[in-house]
Amino acid sequence: MKPAAFEYHSPETAEEATELLADLPDAKLMAGNQSFGIIMSNRLATPDHVIDISDIEGLRYVDVGDDAVEIGAMTRHADVEHSDDLAEVLPLMPEAAQHIAGPAVRNRGTVGGTLGEADPAGNHSCTLLALDAELAVASADGERTIPIDEYFLAYMLTAVEDDELITSVRVSREAFPVERTGMRFTVEKRAAQTWPTLGASAVVRVDDPDADEPVIEDARLSFANAADVPLRTHDAEAEVTGEPLSEGLLESVADTVYDAVEPQDEMHADETYKRELAATFARRSLATAYDRAQGLDE
Amino acid sequence: MSTDTTTDRPTREISVTVNGEEVTAEVEPRLKLSDFLRNYVDLGSVRVGCEHGVCGACTVSVDGDIAKSCLMYAVQLDGKEVTTVEGISEAGSLHPIQEAFHEEHALQCGFCTSGFIMSAREFLAENPDPTRAEIKAALADNICRCTGYQNIFDAVERAADNMEGD
Repeated sequence: MKPAAFEYHSPETAEEATELLADLPDAKLMAGNQSFGIIMSNRLATPDHVIDISDIEGLRYVDVGDDAVEIGAMTRHADVEHSDDLAEVLPLMPEAAQHIAGPAVRNRGTVGGTLGEADPAGNHSCTLLALDAELAVASADGERTIPIDEYFLAYMLTAVEDDELITSVRVSREAFPVERTGMRFTVEKRAAQTWPTLGASAVVRVDDPDADEPVIEDARLSFANAADVPLRTHDAEAEVTGEPLSEGLLESVADTVYDAVEPQDEMHADETYKRELAATFARRSLATAYDRAQGLDE
Repeated sequence: MSTDTTTDRPTREISVTVNGEEVTAEVEPRLKLSDFLRNYVDLGSVRVGCEHGVCGACTVSVDGDIAKSCLMYAVQLDGKEVTTVEGISEAGSLHPIQEAFHEEHALQCGFCTSGFIMSAREFLAENPDPTRAEIKAALADNICRCTGYQNIFDAVERAADNMEGD
């Protein structure tokens, strides 16, 4: 339960961090250390060098612009949870952040860290997938962006290279006009400190929030811990798009989701249970998001 | 642990303010903050339970925010401030949260108590008039295997009442 010995580096900027990554053999980045620290404690990771990026102030920000929202990689879950700006324009993110473990973990854990870890159960990974985010990554050679739908390759494997550092995540606001968009994050977990059994993100944009039966212009539906990567269900989204949301439509989307997810058996939740939970969460999350798009709340 | 295998490894000098007093030490990077506080600063309230971020018994306050000290390394604390249960009230007197834990019998073996108190302290500072559900959510990082939690929630409610106007 004590980590193996390592050399410690504490760069003050992202540039310094990428230079260290390029120069040091067997180096690992350390963000909030709420997952990496567990792996280190169990000696499942024994890197020679640890590059602590958690205190790089230049990577800790929430910038809500007219066109896009940009969040620095070292922004804490607690920063997201308590951001009034995010609650206004992308309420899905604070709603999901408040369900990550407990307050002590949210004080240290970071958005970039959870994306880098790429656990399929991660809340931010699920929400950012629904929001079509773009990751900015940097190495000593330069910078590039990765659309999130090209980011999660396989179980805990991502498109980020060993010498790259996630610097920020960006969400275009174009698809989510505040006055006619609703969002909902739903999660089930046995206890706060455990991984979610299942989570779901729903985003719904309607044509006219004041209409009797507003038509859904755009829908997003993604799941945490429902496959070996965070999973977006495009077929289910297409099914609800172009119509007002009805009970019948919700039933049929639930069926679609039941078949679309690919969950693993767990000790307390077998595959069938998780399929049923995903179907239920699809129905509830979409219904709430639709209500919220009309300015109604549960 | 009888053989010292660490002598040839690099160390760093750190200077940390612990409960208001500056502590300077040479530490190996892998030294956890929890072990630093117990073994270098002699603060027994910091309990080492699971040592991998699950139990919350090692919860302390770092620059005003609670953190699990087993998931931080002492080297990260250079220039920072740490508060443990020893630092939340004058020696010999009880903090209102400690008093409420006593009154509500919110502990049996006591191993988890300091972690709960540090979590409750940060929570009540930001939420002086909480609901039961908010208290439960705020203590989600801490595990107690004796009480069944009800007395702990009662104690935090009582502490909130007692601290009103503070």
